[in-house]
Amino acid sequence: MRWPRLDPITRRRLQRFRRIRRGYYALVILLAAMVLAVFAPYLAESRAIAVWYRGTLYLPTFQYYPMRTFGQAPPAGWDSADIEADYYRLQREWGTERILYARGHSAAGADPAALAALAAKYPDRDDYVVMPPIPWNPYQSDFWANEILNDIQQALDAGHRDDAEWLALRDGLGELAAAIRSGRIDTLLAAGKGHPKRTLGDLARTGAMVSLAGLGTSPPNAPDLRRRHYLGTDSQGRDVAARLLYGFRISIFFALFLVLTGQVIGTIVGSLQGYLGGRFDLVSQRLIEVLIAVPFLYVVIVIAALFQPTFWLLIAILSLFQWIAITFFMRTEMYREKTREYCLAAKSYGASHFRIVFRHLLPNCLTPLVTFTPFAVVGAIFALTGLDYLGYGLPAPTPSWGELIGQALQASNRDKLWLTLAPFGALTITLVLVVFIGESVREAFDPKPYARYE
Amino acid sequence: MTAADEAPLLVAENVYKHYPVRGGVWGRSVGAIRAVDGVSLAVAPQRTLGLVGESGCGKSTLGRTLMRLETPTRGTVMFEGRDLARARGDELQRLRREIQMVFQDPYSSLNPRMTIGEIVREPLVVHAIGSRTEQARRVLELLGTVGLDASTIDRYPSEFSGGQRQRIGVARALALGPRLVVADEPVSALDVSVRGQVLNLMLRLQRELGLAFIFISHDLSVVAHMCDTVAVMYLGRIVEEAPVEILFARPAHPYTRALLAAIPSLDPRRRTGAVPLEGEVPSPIEALAGCPFAPRCAWVTAACREDVPALEPVETSAHRAACIRRAEVAAAPLPVSGAPPRAPGASP
Ligand SMILES: Nc1ncnc2c1ncn2[C@@H]1O[C@H](COP(=O)(O)OP(=O)(O)OP(=O)(O)O)[C@@H](O)[C@H]1O
Ligand SMILES: [Mg+2]
Repeated sequence: MRWPRLDPITRRRLQRFRRIRRGYYALVILLAAMVLAVFAPYLAESRAIAVWYRGTLYLPTFQYYPMRTFGQAPPAGWDSADIEADYYRLQREWGTERILYARGHSAAGADPAALAALAAKYPDRDDYVVMPPIPWNPYQSDFWANEILNDIQQALDAGHRDDAEWLALRDGLGELAAAIRSGRIDTLLAAGKGHPKRTLGDLARTGAMVSLAGLGTSPPNAPDLRRRHYLGTDSQGRDVAARLLYGFRISIFFALFLVLTGQVIGTIVGSLQGYLGGRFDLVSQRLIEVLIAVPFLYVVIVIAALFQPTFWLLIAILSLFQWIAITFFMRTEMYREKTREYCLAAKSYGASHFRIVFRHLLPNCLTPLVTFTPFAVVGAIFALTGLDYLGYGLPAPTPSWGELIGQALQASNRDKLWLTLAPFGALTITLVLVVFIGESVREAFDPKPYARYE
Repeated sequence: MTAADEAPLLVAENVYKHYPVRGGVWGRSVGAIRAVDGVSLAVAPQRTLGLVGESGCGKSTLGRTLMRLETPTRGTVMFEGRDLARARGDELQRLRREIQMVFQDPYSSLNPRMTIGEIVREPLVVHAIGSRTEQARRVLELLGTVGLDASTIDRYPSEFSGGQRQRIGVARALALGPRLVVADEPVSALDVSVRGQVLNLMLRLQRELGLAFIFISHDLSVVAHMCDTVAVMYLGRIVEEAPVEILFARPAHPYTRALLAAIPSLDPRRRTGAVPLEGEVPSPIEALAGCPFAPRCAWVTAACREDVPALEPVETSAHRAACIRRAEVAAAPLPVSGAPPRAPGASP
């Protein structure tokens, strides 16, 4: 690759950074993850990416469609205009129609009347729903473990054995499907001596049917590929993978915003301290020392107790402390750099202070800024996760790693391994990536190979 | 023709530059480094004034103060009757175009992140001289003047040798068309083999462009090659000032004699056992009672420790020295006889 407009020092540093594989690939992965996070609604969302319904294409990702649009029946007591379409269900229902139609088609043979009846019975057999890979949004509770058994139970109670069998097959409950087909289910559920008629839920709870084990329980539920909960659900039945993804999105952009404001303020203050020196430097340095002595966690806790913390409020509070560290480095860099003769030369032909600082000095003082930024990002992610864990972070339903860790560490969830592994794994991977980047940047920017100032 | 015949370009009178020594949490001033301590001098148009002295005697500080890179603590610096020491805003910007500087260290005097073209163009941009194309043409012209190829324009300082960089520094100094150039040890960081080239470039430019120079150096052989008049500095003051031939032939201050004796010579017949400078340079922080050179002087008398001697004429008005025994010193034979030494690599 060529860098036509870069000065040789920067160019060499970038080349060296690219040569440090570990950091370079970590950067590529992290950037890719950030790009993916921007497109999170296409990765984890209860709204379909695309719906093909009776000759029309719908793109519901950023658009509300009521249940009515796709002919869905609302829950009892609701108007179908008020409730958003349930795309996941739609996908299941249309899939079912397709298979039942195919079954009926082979049974009907060439009888035109039977075929016409079949076509009228399954009008949506040619409609499609494309769901995101994780078909859950991070706020939605999914009590699927109960729902599956309920659906099958309803079909059984209504006498639709075919449907019940098919639902069982579709949800991977082969043993149950076989029992329904063979009729053994009736004996299993029949009322016996001393007990009333049983339900499928009873079968699951008592372990009378092994393949039902784990169903009929309340969340958190373990990872289940059939239901596309790749990392399970949390204690409110929300998809862990979706919450991790959105939690990543929030924390990485939170960290970037925070570090950006912090570094900009810190660079300006530190540069002015170093460049102006004298009284300004002394007084501001004393003020900074006062600020350092303020215990920042307490300040955050006090403010979080008074106001409902929001994304921007937290950034504002943390920014109060974030900018300090970089001032020390920028200040010393400026002190060193301003005595170099090119700065005197700029002064001697009358360049303004602004021009000297921003055109001449700052480009030569960026090393600490670039090398410390990755570590500042790590710090900011940690800070947000910690605050969320303590409950002083973003308010309740916001997807957050800290809140997930909080759930994982609850006594009742100690045996729910997925709750522990998912957030800690994500945290570890992110931090390792950022640290790899940070170390490589530091190595690439190491001034030692340039002992001679050039 | 001597410098006194023409109206001088730059006149400094009683210039002081004291740096406060600070202490305590709030940085109160607890003393002062008297880097420049009452200097008066004049530079004639198209002439070169040499400034010599030991390290730390305040040559660079004086040069920077004359350029208004430092504001003098006291005193006036007049450039053609305009007060440079107090000028502000537009007036200062206009004066800055008249005086430019060539720096000592070619490795730090060029911004490593700017191309040669950008570096030389910066002064034109700052002063908004000409359109972009005119500026580009002027940059090419300047690079040609200092003997650099047009292809250097898009390259960075790190690709050049010390001598080439110093030429770039000269081109930048010339960009605004100054009439006075302060050169602060412009060749002392260079390889001996290229010193002569840079010095001759400066002499040529002086002839062609009618420049006046203030030439700071601690190398007397270079000064002899370059200068019309020489001022010798000691502890922030000028202790002797004379046309170059007179200074080398009849130095009237013991400090000047010691400096001349310290010039290394390759000619064994001219090596002498002359007394080198001995003793510590007194601290520039305390003001001394008498002559500041007295503690190190071979000619010292009791009277020397009473008053600070003023610069007084010796024989002619162009030769002045700050020594009460200046007549005796000037009359004494030099430990080394012969012509002033030649600059290394200088063409005759
Ligand atoms: N910005 C400053 N603050 C405080 N003291 C200074 C400053 N600049 C120079 N000095 C002091 O002023 C004195 C004169 O320094 P200056 O650099 O002018 O000497 P010099 O004659 O140029 O020496 P050299 O030959 O080594 O370049 C020295 O004692 C130096 O420590
Ligand atoms: Mg100096």
